[in-house]
Amino acid sequence: MTQRTIAERADYLSRRRARILPVFVVLYLIHQTTYFRSTANPHPRDVDYLWIGAWMVLSLIMLAGLATKGFWLQSRELRDLIDDESSRAHRLEGLRLGFIVAVLTGIVLYIADEFSPMTAREAIHVILSLGLGAALLRFGTLERRAHRDG
Amino acid sequence: MAERLANRIKEARAELHLTQAELAERVGVTRKTVNTVENGVFTPSTLLALKLAQALNVPVEQLFSIEQ
Repeated sequence: MTQRTIAERADYLSRRRARILPVFVVLYLIHQTTYFRSTANPHPRDVDYLWIGAWMVLSLIMLAGLATKGFWLQSRELRDLIDDESSRAHRLEGLRLGFIVAVLTGIVLYIADEFSPMTAREAIHVILSLGLGAALLRFGTLERRAHRDG
Repeated sequence: MAERLANRIKEARAELHLTQAELAERVGVTRKTVNTVENGVFTPSTLLALKLAQALNVPVEQLFSIEQ
C-alpha cells in the first residue's frame, strides 16, 4: 500500500467517522430514554437484563472508541495518521466536556433525589450515558466541523 | 485584547502549487488538520508548526505571526 493511498484512506475514514458519530450518539441517547420506561421497574424481567447488558457493552465500546485511536482492525500506520494532532485535541475537548456534564448531572440527580427518589443503578445509568454521550458528541461535531471548513 | 495565531500557509502552499492533501502528506497528518490550522481554527503544536514550515520551505516565523 503506498503512502498516498494511506493518506487518502485516513482522510476517508476520518471523514466517515465524523459524519456517522454525531448521528450514532443521538440515537444512543434517544435509546437510553426508553430505559426508564422498559427496565426501571422493581422486578426486572430476563429481557431487562439483556437490555442492560447491551447498554453496558455499547457504552464500553463507545468509551474504548473515544479513549483509544479507534479503527482497531486497521494498520498501526493508518491509525496513527487518523489520530493526528487535531483529532487528539478534539478528543481531549470531548473528554473535558463529558467530565463536566457527568459532574453536573450528578449534582442535578443528587438534588432531584430529594423530590423523586431513584436507585443508584438508575443514577449511574443517567450519569454514564450523558457523560459519555456529551463527550462523543463534542468529539464528533468538532471532527465534522474540521472536515467541513475546507 | 485577544491574540490569535495568524498564518500564511495558504499563500506559501499556493507558491509551491500544493494542495492541502499534498501538504498534509508531506507533514504526516490528515488534510483535516492542515485545513483547521490554515483556517485558524486549530492552533498547532510547536512540532507541527516547524514541520509545516519545513515542508513549505519557509522559516516558521514567516509562516506564523501573532495577530492582535
